[in-house]
This record gives sequence, structure tokens and C-alpha cells, in this order.
Amino acid sequence: MPYLAKLEKAGIPTVLVDFNDQIPSIEQEALAAGVPNIRHVTASRTIPGPEDVDRWIGPMLEMLTKPLTDQEKAESMHMPSQERILFEGTLDEAQEFYQQTRIIPDPLNAPISVYTDGLPVIVPTEERVAEMLKGTSHRPDEIITRKKGAPRFAFRGGEGDAVRFQPRLWTGTVEKVAINAVMAGCKPEHLPVVLAIAQSGVQTGTTVINHQWMCLSGPIVKEIGINAGTGMMGPGNPAGMAIGRAYQLMAINLGGAVPGVSRMSSIGSPISRGGLCFGECTEKLPPGWKGLNEDFGFKKDESVVLVQGGEGGFNGAQFSPGGYRALQKSGHGGMARRLGVKGLPGPHNWLDWILPDIWVGDREGSRIFVMVHEMAYDLYRLGFKSKDEVLEYIWKKSFEPLKKYRDRSWVDLWTNGWMGTEPTSGKPWKELPDDYMVPAAGNSPKDSYILVCGSDEEICYEMPGGVRRGEMSSVYSIDAWR
Amino acid sequence: MAEKVRCISPVGIAEEVGTFPLSPRLDTIEGKNICMSICGEPDITIALEKKLKTDYTNVNWNVKKTYGLFPIGLTDEELKTTDAVIQGVLW
Repeated sequence: MPYLAKLEKAGIPTVLVDFNDQIPSIEQEALAAGVPNIRHVTASRTIPGPEDVDRWIGPMLEMLTKPLTDQEKAESMHMPSQERILFEGTLDEAQEFYQQTRIIPDPLNAPISVYTDGLPVIVPTEERVAEMLKGTSHRPDEIITRKKGAPRFAFRGGEGDAVRFQPRLWTGTVEKVAINAVMAGCKPEHLPVVLAIAQSGVQTGTTVINHQWMCLSGPIVKEIGINAGTGMMGPGNPAGMAIGRAYQLMAINLGGAVPGVSRMSSIGSPISRGGLCFGECTEKLPPGWKGLNEDFGFKKDESVVLVQGGEGGFNGAQFSPGGYRALQKSGHGGMARRLGVKGLPGPHNWLDWILPDIWVGDREGSRIFVMVHEMAYDLYRLGFKSKDEVLEYIWKKSFEPLKKYRDRSWVDLWTNGWMGTEPTSGKPWKELPDDYMVPAAGNSPKDSYILVCGSDEEICYEMPGGVRRGEMSSVYSIDAWR
Repeated sequence: MAEKVRCISPVGIAEEVGTFPLSPRLDTIEGKNICMSICGEPDITIALEKKLKTDYTNVNWNVKKTYGLFPIGLTDEELKTTDAVIQGVLW
């Protein structure tokens, strides 16, 4: 929308074509860009292309020639309400106030909470917010900005720039974040984590199943008692539950994310329903394997949070715990049969049992492998002396002929319609033969990552969506917000 | 009587925005330089591009395509010569 606003300002008339379910979002973005009356036509998601185009091509071209109305010629100031105190009354009344909903019309036709994720919240009284603010040395009125060395958000902004919360591109203060932390059930010692997460802009994704989750690394894990062991992705741990929920509340309140209006994940994701945050279990890493903090340029004694978004479901539980033990202890069972190590005690390379099937049966792209320490140790005993060596191995296993790769869905997007160059060869995609081998696991081994946490029971999850490195990474310092 | 509490708004800060008029429209599209800019999947825009080029031959069409999120902008030179832009954002 900023591009169209720029063109209109430059005297070039425009018209926008978008899907009809995007209208509320278009209107919000147009107002924010200063062109609330931008002309647009809506296409259908289901009517065949030629038939669909016939419906609106005439009106679309007319929008370039039809004279402007008085409203379209108007110039004004849009001044949104910025009342600091949202509610005054008894606690019971406040509880009811925060539970209010409004009906979102098609494509929902269901009530959606205005200020919450649907569940009751801790009412953010001035006193509770003041108590929460004791968790940081930062001033309540400090605008959330991107700190020095913090990753650059994918869409906009560099160091020192105000963070624009997704999708409405609103800004927020330390106090605003603290309010949402109170509502989520956080304690003051959680606030630096929530502030670090806020730097991400708390995006909520688009049409496909999109989920957001966080993993903490460093001393903070013990400090606040976030679960890095058994069931760390499940319920029961107050720090994990509250911080995960704080992300979603920030998306709703600071970002203005509303299902059916500006949060268009068609089915939604159970991971984003209540929020997901857990810890990395660095003390159980194999020798030489580094933690998340060190892998992303921080020191071992620094606390960081990985703020991760991804599309798609995640794999896991491909084998039974007993099946894994049988493989490693005695070379028994189906896993041993497939790997050809029947009767031989381990360690055996269990990666060979799940690869390359995770890309064959599911979408291509990088993954975050979340594995228990025992499985990491089995890899270590096989000779993998670092996470990077494992990632290199995984990546090489993902290579497949270009002919097969072309038949995948997301690759049209990744390759920009095959107009660019293939990263491993540097040659134009269109010049490569069908049998040319390309990686299904992303452009680089380091697009994927490994987290070691969880229990002793043998399991590995493969979370879709890899990590970004360097200035675009999604790992934020928690210590910067203490 | 129950004690009263005051609650601070958790809602983000929307900046004041100055809105401005749309650009004056064209008298006709005939003979004009119009850019058709496409982001996202070409499921609809293939048909649109074909129809525009077939049915509106008196227009000088300049097509810019990307699968990415952001449109390929007009160059400084194109900004001087382009009369209108159709922006297709189809995700």
C-alpha cells in the first residue's frame, strides 16, 4: 500500500486488484498510508481466472478514468483515539469488560474477543502494571525500538527504529508491553523476555497455517524456571504458558490482529491458539555442541529468545519409543531392518530413518529439529561433533532432481517464478537440466537448526520454517531489556 | 462497596495520518502508458494480462511481475512516462 500511496502522490492514478476477503485489511492499510479512498476491485479465490477477470476488468479500467468524487479529493487528518485509561470500575466489571466480543462477519460470522485471545485475562489495573514494570529498568514511556545488534525485522526498520507491530503497524511502549504481560499472567521477572519478543513485531502470518513460537536460551531458562525438559511444549509451566500467551495478546492489542479482518490464516494454528514458549536444555548438549545463544553470536552467559514463525504442520513421532530403543540397544525391529543393522547394537544414525521422507511426504524447505538429548548424544557418538555437522548431513540428504523439485508448490515463490538463479550453482534456473540435483531443505544447511530439549523419551519434532541468520535473524537479546 | 480500579489500555499506538487526495484520473486509457504490476501467484493475472493485451491494443502495457511480497517499483524514468498503474496483489 505505501507504494500505491507514493504513486498517487506523484500524480499517477492507480487501481488495486485483491481478493474480496482482503477488503477490511486493504481499508486499514490504505488509511495508514494516507489514501483511505484508494480504488480497488476484488477478485474471487474460486472462480476460474478468465471468467473472474471478465467480471471486473471493465470496472477496473473505469477506475483509472472515472473522475474523482468530492470524498476522493478530500484532504484531512486522521487522529485515532489514544486514551490511556481504557476502563474504570470494579474488578468484576473490569473482568467482564475485558471479555467483550464483537461479531466478525464473513468469513467468520462468530464472536471474537476485542482485547483477549478468548480466555479470561488478569485485569491490567494501574497497580498491577506498575508492579510488572519493576521487571525492567526501562522507562514506561520508552517506545519499543530495535536495539543495537538486534535483528532487522523482515519488512522494515533498522537499529533504533520504532518497532511496527503487525499487522496494523502500530507502535508500542514498554508500558504497553507490560500491560499485555499482566493480562497474559506473566510475572515481573518475565517482562524482559516479553520486551525482547516485542522487538519481533509479533507478526501473525497469512493464509496458510501459520504459527508462532519462542524458545529461550541462556541463564534465563533457570532464572524464570521455564520448562526445557519433559513436555516443554505442553501445558503446566507458568512461565512458558504466560510468555507464549503474551505474544498472542501483543499481536491482538499492539498489532491489531483480528481473525477474518487482518489475520487471515484460513484454518489457524493450534500452536498460536494459546501461545508456545519453552526453554533450551543447554546443560544436556553433547560436548562441543553450542546452545542457541552462542550459535547466534551471543555469549554462553547471555540470555536470548528465538522468535519463530513458520507455515505448515510439523512432523514427529515417526517411530515408537520402543522402536528407537530396540534400534540403538540391540539392532532390533523395523528401524534396524530398514537401516540394515539387524542384530547390531548402536549407535545407529536415526536421521537416515526419517530422511529424506520429511520432504517427500511434506513440503520442502528448512526445518527446526527439536530433539531430546539422548538422540543428540547418539549422533555425537556417531561422529557429529557439532550441530553444524548434523545440519550439513541433513541438507545433503535433501537433494533431489530438479524435475521433482519443480513439481512442488512453494518453489514458484522461492524461485520468483524460476526467473532467478539456482543458489548452489549460481546458474539461471531455466538453464538447468531436469536431472540437476537441488536441495529440498533450503538454500543452505544453516537455514535449518537444532534445539535440544525435552525428556529422555526418544522423539524428534521437525518444525517447519527455518531460522534466519545474520542481520535478519530472529534471535533477540533478553538482557538488553533487563 | 467494591473498590474501583483503573485499567490502562493495552492497545498499540496508531499514529496520526494526513490523508491526501487521489491523483486525478485519465481522460482515456487510449494511447496511454499503463503499468500492470503483479505480486504473488499468477492464477488470475495470467488471464488479466492476456485480456488486456488482446482487447486493449491501443494501450502501451508495461508488465512487472514478481512472486514476492513487494511490487517491482517503477524506475525513475518510468515514473516520468507512466500514466497509470494497475497493482495486482493476489496471495
